[in-house]
Amino acid sequence: MEFLSIVYLTYMFIAIYFLAFFIMLYIRNKNELFYFPPITKKYSISVLVPAFNEEKTISDTIEAIFASEYPIEELIVLNDGSKDNTGKIVERLMKKYPKLKLLNKENSGKADSLNQGIKMATGELIAVVDADSYPSKDSFRKLVGFFDDKKVGVATSCIVPRNKSGFLEKMQVIEYNVIAFTRKLLGFVDAIYVTPGPLALYRKSALIKIGGFDKKNLTEDIEATWHLVYAGYERKMTLSSNVTTTVPTKFKAWFNQRKRWSIGGQQCIMKYKKHFLRRGMLGLFILPFFVLQLSLGVFGMGIFLYLIGRKFLDKYLFVKYSINLDSPILTMNDLYITPSVLNYLGIVLFLIGGLFTILALYIMKDSILNKQNIFKILFYFLLYLPIYPFISVIALYNYIKGNRKWR
Amino acid sequence: MNQKYVFLQALIVTIIIFNVGVFLGYKLEGSRINQINDWYLEADMELLDQRIQTDAFDIIDFDCNAVIKENINFADNIFEKAKVIQRYEDANKINSDIILAHKRYDLLRTLFWINSMRIKEKCQANYHNIVYFYQYNNVPLEQDAKQAVFSNFLSKIKQEEGDKVMLIPIAAVNNLSAVNLLLEKYEIKELPVVLIDEKTKLTDVQTLDDIRRYLN
Repeated sequence: MEFLSIVYLTYMFIAIYFLAFFIMLYIRNKNELFYFPPITKKYSISVLVPAFNEEKTISDTIEAIFASEYPIEELIVLNDGSKDNTGKIVERLMKKYPKLKLLNKENSGKADSLNQGIKMATGELIAVVDADSYPSKDSFRKLVGFFDDKKVGVATSCIVPRNKSGFLEKMQVIEYNVIAFTRKLLGFVDAIYVTPGPLALYRKSALIKIGGFDKKNLTEDIEATWHLVYAGYERKMTLSSNVTTTVPTKFKAWFNQRKRWSIGGQQCIMKYKKHFLRRGMLGLFILPFFVLQLSLGVFGMGIFLYLIGRKFLDKYLFVKYSINLDSPILTMNDLYITPSVLNYLGIVLFLIGGLFTILALYIMKDSILNKQNIFKILFYFLLYLPIYPFISVIALYNYIKGNRKWR
Repeated sequence: MNQKYVFLQALIVTIIIFNVGVFLGYKLEGSRINQINDWYLEADMELLDQRIQTDAFDIIDFDCNAVIKENINFADNIFEKAKVIQRYEDANKINSDIILAHKRYDLLRTLFWINSMRIKEKCQANYHNIVYFYQYNNVPLEQDAKQAVFSNFLSKIKQEEGDKVMLIPIAAVNNLSAVNLLLEKYEIKELPVVLIDEKTKLTDVQTLDDIRRYLN
């Protein structure tokens, strides 16, 4: 068998494995997807909102948090050296909300801001909410019950885009819903690998135990989650409440955001590499999962570029020779398509992947799942997802070069 | 029940699905190879019939025109089949039996070529044997492009010239002694090459158009 056929079959095997894994998790737990534990104990919650030039969104974020059905002990905005009116807007809102606090500080990054916030916070639980994100009223109420279990270090809810009008935003709606659905499924095997920035509710003692957030990491949320896994804490998620977040509307901003996520993931891999295939869920699933994702992306990209390059050169020479010779460039024989077994397997995988995505959107009850948007789901598969290997490669290049800027 | 067994269960399910997929693929490719083998058997019988006619030439008075006509039809048939086999080979990913089927076809075409030479000689036929030797495996990029051009150009020539041309494609580097002997005899060291009437060799794309000169 040719090397490339072996490569394709390996990729297919891995894809079938993860599809089977998620489908089996869904079948076994479909009645538990929207479960959240009842409140049996009262916890005090301090909310930390790190903000850097967030004048457009900060006000709505604060309003959303104070609209919570569950009482908030305090909300601390960590103004990370904003050059816009973020501070002034918060100061104005402080008159309306006595529990709103503001820490104006020199710009030192999100992780450092959060670490300073942890020191200030008085609550037993610390919620981290991005300044462009908006938790639903029931978010905190549906999360606190998880903390009755002392092993739980962090809980999160479903994150969905707030802005859904443009094409790129719609792609992200599909993506966020699939991510939320699969993250919930991973929760059933204690394999949640990130409790994202838009809303994560941490046990304060757990955060202190792991020494807060890693200032060097571009994705402090992924790193903190891995650190909590390493420290033996469980991560929980509920699909029954959500937080909306502002997603990039321009390709460049989207690309940079994903590149940052990818670099952050690579930083995490390097930081925890010595636990690879060793300790618990971190070493046996999360790390291998990330390494596999990265290596498949980078290797696949290499193969793709090689094939494209070879095909292009081959066609170029063919056309050049054909023109010189006045020989046909296209014949009837070229129009016959004889599909290979790999084509058939690829189509089957594509269909199963598509059905899984539709299932995720159906479960998440997202309005994007309608006849008008069926082609967008197709675009999601054919245009949106294939960009990720490029991002992985560029992120890896940046990581190796030491270019690890937040923005 | 421990949910973590899902990791193992998913692996078992994957192995089953994957193997079923590969098995079905193997069967699909196998059915294509069977089709090639069926064609081969038909062609083999037809060629055997022709060879007997050619061998019996000295003792029985045969109608040369009929033999030539049969020979041309046979050539056209195996040429058309060769195109389909090529497509099947391109789409073949798992079942390596296709290499064997291809080799058998190469031997058949070689035998046909030899027979064609004999008919031409005995019947004083005016058709041209155009044998196209190409590389089958591990074809370098530039050679691959060249072979594609050769193949298309020769098809065009065949279309233009019709019965005047006996076009016989043979994979050269396929570890077949008979083919190797012929390559040696005609001093073929470079691929792809077009051998016209066992005399003229064309190896360059630039000179390929000279074919027309030799045919007219």
